[in-house]
This record gives sequence, C-alpha cells and structure tokens, in this order.
Amino acid sequence: MYKGTNPTCHDFNVVTMTPDSVSLVVGFSTGQIQLIDPIKKELSKLYNEERLIDKTKVTCIRWVPGSTNLFLVSHSSGQLYLYNEELPCGTAPPHYQPFKQGDGYAIHTCKTKSTRNPLYRWVIGSEGCCINEFAFSPCGTCLAVVSQDGFLRVFHYDTMELLGSARSYFGGFLCVCWSPDGRYVVVGGEDDLVTVWSFHERRVVARGQGHRSWVSVVAFDPYTTSYSEQDGTVDFSGGSDDETTQQNHTPNCTLSSGSSERSSVTRNSGNQASNRNSSGSDFNRMNAATCYRLGSVGQDTQLCLWDITEDVLRQPMCSKLRTSGVGGSGTFGVNGLAAGGAYHLNSMGGCVPRCNNVSTTLQTNAVASKDKECLADGNATHFHGMNMHNNSSAPSLTQRLAGLGFGDRKDGSGTHKRNFSLASRGGSTGGDKNNSSYRGSGTSNRTSADDPMRLIGTGACPRFDECPVLEPLICKKIAHERLTALIFREDCFVTACQDGYVYTWARPGKMGLASHIPSSPTTVTAAAVGGGIGPSGTVV
Amino acid sequence: MGANISQLERDIGSDQFPPNEHYFGLVNFGNTCYSNSVLQALYFCKPFREKVLEYKARNKRTKETLLTCLADLFYSIATQKKKVGSIAPKKFIARLRKEKEEFDNYMQQDAHEFLNFLINHINEIILAERHQSSCKPKMGIGEGPTPQPEPTWVHEIFQGILTSETRCLNCETVSSKDEDFFDLQVDVDQNTSITHCLKCFSNTETLCSDNKFKCDHCSSYQEAQKRMRVKKLPMILALHLKRFKYMEQYNRHIKVSHRVVFPLELRLFNTSDDAVNPDRLYDLVAVVIHCGSGPNRGHYISIVKSHGFWLLFDDDMVDKIDASTIEDFYGLTSDIQKSSETGYILFYQSRDCV
Repeated sequence: MYKGTNPTCHDFNVVTMTPDSVSLVVGFSTGQIQLIDPIKKELSKLYNEERLIDKTKVTCIRWVPGSTNLFLVSHSSGQLYLYNEELPCGTAPPHYQPFKQGDGYAIHTCKTKSTRNPLYRWVIGSEGCCINEFAFSPCGTCLAVVSQDGFLRVFHYDTMELLGSARSYFGGFLCVCWSPDGRYVVVGGEDDLVTVWSFHERRVVARGQGHRSWVSVVAFDPYTTSYSEQDGTVDFSGGSDDETTQQNHTPNCTLSSGSSERSSVTRNSGNQASNRNSSGSDFNRMNAATCYRLGSVGQDTQLCLWDITEDVLRQPMCSKLRTSGVGGSGTFGVNGLAAGGAYHLNSMGGCVPRCNNVSTTLQTNAVASKDKECLADGNATHFHGMNMHNNSSAPSLTQRLAGLGFGDRKDGSGTHKRNFSLASRGGSTGGDKNNSSYRGSGTSNRTSADDPMRLIGTGACPRFDECPVLEPLICKKIAHERLTALIFREDCFVTACQDGYVYTWARPGKMGLASHIPSSPTTVTAAAVGGGIGPSGTVV
Repeated sequence: MGANISQLERDIGSDQFPPNEHYFGLVNFGNTCYSNSVLQALYFCKPFREKVLEYKARNKRTKETLLTCLADLFYSIATQKKKVGSIAPKKFIARLRKEKEEFDNYMQQDAHEFLNFLINHINEIILAERHQSSCKPKMGIGEGPTPQPEPTWVHEIFQGILTSETRCLNCETVSSKDEDFFDLQVDVDQNTSITHCLKCFSNTETLCSDNKFKCDHCSSYQEAQKRMRVKKLPMILALHLKRFKYMEQYNRHIKVSHRVVFPLELRLFNTSDDAVNPDRLYDLVAVVIHCGSGPNRGHYISIVKSHGFWLLFDDDMVDKIDASTIEDFYGLTSDIQKSSETGYILFYQSRDCV
C-alpha cells in the first residue's frame, strides 16, 4: 500500500460488525491510518495520509467502546488522536487550541470552522515520549495509557480527568491491560516485571518477577479468572485515599448498558457467575474466591502464567516485605535485614509486615499438575499476519499480528523518528511539564509527573520489598524469537512472535475443539522437561 | 569530512546546539578505536570529564603522565573554537604505548581491558601525587587491616562495593567480605536483559568438591553457599558484558552476539540488605560497541547521550542518531550470523549526581 512502511497495529469495530461486513482500522509505521473492510473489500479510507497530523509510528489503535465511528490512535511522538471515520483530515497541518490540561498531560482541539479530524489531540508525558499502548476499561469508561517515560496514566475518558498513575521500577512501560472486572490494571515493561495496579486504591499492589527480559504483552485469561461480582466500595483498606472522586469513577459504573456489554470481553465461561454490570450488590463480596489468571509474554521468548489471589491483593502497603532470596533459605541474611530495615521504615506508616510471596522452589512441578492450561507440543499452526479471522471474540488478539507477516519490522522502525530529541512538534505542549495545576484526583502521595525519584517508595512506585512479589505459575520458553502477541480464547490461547509465526495452544482437554491441531497434547510439565518448541512445532 | 561535520550541525540545528559543548571525533592511528571509543564514552560521563578538566586546571606544570595527557586531550576538545570536527589524540596514544607494552603495537586491543587499565592507572597517579605532596606518614593504626586511604575522585565516581556473603552449610555461620569494584562484569545469555544478567551475577553459587570454603568457625573446609551483591552503588555504573568466551574446541576466544537489551533507565535488584543507597536510579549515558566477529578483529565505536540527544562516535566521524536506533546494538537472536554490532560496555550515571 505504501512503500517503506508496514502495518503496526489494527482493531476491528465490534459494534458495527456483521457476518458480511467489518470495519478494520490499521495503523502504519510511518503514521498513516487506513480503514478497510476485509470482507466487502470496497471500503478504503485513509487518514493522516499526507502525515500532516503526525509523522511518527502508530503504536496502538482502538475503536472507542460502543462507538460506530470514533477511533483513538497513539503515536510514538507521545500523542493520542481521536478520529471520526466520517470526517475528512484537512489539507494543511491542523492548528490546535488548548482544551484541558492536567498533571503530565494536555488535551487540544482542532481550531477550524468545520469539524474535521483529529477531533482531539492528547499530549501525554513530556514531549516526544512514546506512547507504547493504551487500553479502555471493560466498561469503556476509563482509558489506561502506558508510555516510554515509565508511567501508567489512567484517565476518565469522557471527562478527561487523570484518575491515577503509577511508575515503573525503571524504564518504559510497554504494555497494559485491564482485569475483566475492571478492578486492576496490569502493565509490563523494561524492568522485566509485571506490575499490578489497583484501580480502587490507586496504587501498585503487586509485582510479578519471572521474565528474563522486557515484557511485551500482558493479558488476563477471562476463562480461568474467577472473582466476585463486586466493585466500587471495596478495597479501600489502603487508607490514605479518602477522596470521594474515586468512588465516582469506578470503571464498573454502568454506561448505557448495551454499549458496555459489547465493549467488554466476550465472556461465556462457566466461571462467570453473573453479569458484572448488573451489580449494585455491595454486600456479600466474598461469595467467590477471587483469583485472576494473567498471562504475559516477552522478549525473553517466554510465556509466564500468573495467579493473582485475594490474599496478595489485600495486603496493605508495607515497608518491609523482603525475604531473603538466597537459595530459598529463610535464615540467610536475616542479620542484614534488621539493618536494612532502618533505611526504609520512614517511608510508610502503619503496616503489617506479613508476606505471602508465593514460595519459590518446586513451584513449577506443583503448579503444573494443577494448572488448567495445556501446552500442546505439536500444535503449532502458522498463518501469516494479515490472515485475520472475522471472529468477534478475538479482535484485540489479531490486532497485534498485523505487522508480523511482512517480515522485517525492524526496517520500518529504523526509519521512523521517535523524536527523542528536542526537535519539532510546536511549542504548544511546553506548558504542561511545569504545570502546577495539580488535579487532586489520585492518591495523596502522587507528585509531579516527571520526577520519578520522588515517587520511589510511594504507592505509585513502591520499593521492591514494600510490595508483594509474585512468582509465575509457569515460566516457559515457547519460541525462538521475541514474543509479540498473546490472546486467550475459550478453547486455546494464541501467541505470535517477531519472525511472523503464530501459534495456537490448546487448553487441556480441548484438543478436539481447537482446530488445526494434529498431534497429541502434553502437559506443561512434560513440555518443560522437553525444552523449547521450534517454529515447526516439534519439541527440540 | 567537511560535509559530514556541517551535516552534524545541521542535524542538531544551530539554535539547538548546546552551548559550551563540542563534538569532536578522534583520529585513528591504526587500530586505536578501542581507545577512541572508551575516551569518548568517558568524556561524556560528565562527572569524570569535570574532574579531569579540574585536574588540568590545578596541575599546570607537572611531569607528563597518562593523566596529564588525558587532561590535555579533554581540555583541547573542550576549548575548541569550532563546535564539531576531529582531533588527533597523538600524545595520549604515544604515552599509552610507553606505559603499557601490551598496547605498544598496532593490534586491536580489548576496550574493556583498556578502560580497566586507564581507570586504575589514573587512580594510582592521583594516589602517588597525593602521597608526594602531603608526605605525612600514615598514622599507624595497630589493629585490623590497613586503613583505607582517603578516596580519590576516581573512587568517588566509579567505585562501588560488592559484598560477598558466604554461608557455611555445616555450621550455618554467615560471613561476609566487602570488595571494591570499578565495573561489574556480567555473563550474557540469549534473549535476556541486562537486568537479568545482573540478577544472575548475584545468584547463589554452591561451593563444593574442589572448591570448598574454609570456614573459620568450623576450622575446616566445608560446603557453602555464596552470593555477591552490591552494597554501595557507584555514581557511574560501568557494566562489562562478557561477550568474548574462550572456546576449547576452537582454542580461541569467540564472540557471543546474544541479544541483551539494556534500558535507558536502570535500577539494581541485586543490592545487599544493608546497601547504603539501594534506590539509585541510573540513566544510560554511553555505550561502547563492538562491531565484528571476534575479539582481535573488528571495530569499536561508541554512542553517547548529550543534552538529551544521542551521538555516534566512529573514530573521527560523529553523527546524531535517533534513540530508536539503539536497539540495533542489543545483539542477534540467531546464532547463524557471525558479525554483529553489540553493546560491550554500558555506562549508567546515577540521577542524583547531576
């Protein structure tokens, strides 16, 4: 379609989708956006075609939940744009006027007589700071954005208020997802960690350590996750946040019910007790054991599965959780611990130093047998990137695969400008860095957005021993190249990697149901012993 | 060359060009890129550059040492009229060849060996000069190990402390021993991050069979568990990726081109419980890159961060690069290709020192 450019991301519109028509938006490495209908094949519209709006790579693209014509696009320049697919883009670079500004972000509208694209421009973080991914909450009310400056920022989408933020241990955040009930946001990044942030408490509640390199995708498995039909009023044990704004903005608050249902993940598993949106059931929240199943893949070519349980999530922020890590021995280094504690005790008051880190050793065996996932060894199926299926349950999955089949993503990334330098992009954003108009929305300890040093030891970035550390249920090398996609489906999950292969992995007992899988299933334990699985699907 | 220079100024933009900053390439005198790349990296470690220039200002007429040659070189770069260009580090290289016979030839040398030599040598020069000038005998402190001499500015910048903790598996007694370091040398694994390599550096190892631990408490050799963790984090953390592995079957060193990602920002996980400053947040400021297939072949270049943008120094050439091209220097995911351009020495600077 273009020379020297390749697709980087895509999204299907699940609202307008019918059996013989689907709206698919695709973002490109040089900034353009295309709307096509892969079934009808007659529809094709281009946005930002002349690159007047943004010249940098499209990093993420999503239809606004419940909308037939609005979609949101992030670029590596650090900007988010809202487009209406029915509007034109204009023939000159757009002029903007400030619309709203907050701590670490600013929103502009297009200054034109006739309405045209983009409708809004969001500038997030400091100038030129790449937005790596964004995700709408299951009900569509909230927007979580992660960027190269190491921040997760959660906004109320309609009011454009910043509700809370978190900061990586170090380095950029690369990926983000919401728990199916909208109570937790999970991010992964260049600190090799999976970080769990509580929406209600506005703080980091757990970190997962297991990847050997950067985490590129995090995704909840809604079919294995169980939780009570609760929201809003729980989980305020964290203490310091007494601001009422939080309660007003819980992501589970019902929109018009129809749209919110469509926008949420299609969940038809048996684990799901009742419709989340019907809530209001503020009582009796312990009716089901809460256990979130999370998956993550990374540049280490590994898949990690995590169980996030109630007892971990309900720990208050703690000043010293460290257990000695030496060879799993509990005694080693205890003498040093007392001394070390003195350095940290000043940070947070009133904490219970109880720690239930998942115990370290022998975890793999114990877990693998009870684990419901099954990594089948011979079941790899390759189809090329653009071979998207018209399946409503998987839009966000295929989304990440677009760029892959075309081979060298690397060439594309070499040409785009990430604008780390001082250059370009008008002075309009200069103000938001120093902007002191502090929106007192999040926790009381959130400080200026661009000083990560001051966040260390706060709820936005607890020290490593102040926050429970999870160990993965399983941690398994499943490819030879960096993994770039992970999608959970009812009978399987799907992964993709940098060299363009897409693998489908059947769940235990679902071998017959998952199509195109010829050979016999193996348990995780067996696969772990067997070693890596090659692109051809054979156990090495 | 002229075209290249003006290109750099054009890339940066005359209004954006940082005041009082000079980007000068270093001429290669025949396989001296190992020195050029390290010198550029050190020049852009701001605390180091400042101390070297300070030394130059304080020591006008002293005997020529490697340090005075380095100071002259830095001074000459810092006081150039032009903003960009290239300079010949003739005196420095001549002095280097006099100081250490291993470097007295036209062979390719190991950049890390050179860095190690340079830092230690400079430190010794400062200590010797201090000893000469003050001449007061150290007051004898009767007991224990000899007292540490007052740290030099080289210590203040590069020195960290590792603590090695050993637990005797017989009596469970834990003993710990501190040692200084100027850089950490980490093994590399395929498809990992520098964070992971550092974690492995601090993995517990079991001392057994031929390698038992002499336990003072048991008064005998016992099996023991040992780990090394960082007790004092240096201002500039230099990380050496051990990419040259001796392979017995080839009877020579082979380059390991594994892909090891390194973030622009770093904190350490492998700090000891009694660490002085475990929260230090580091920024990547310079990387020495090895290009080629083996330790005695190939080429060294460096990339440095200066005033928010990245520059690539390839001997006398200087180019502005986009931060996204740093990923080209992580390494290779396949072992088939022989030649690679890979990060070899990483320089991280603590944010609290600027």
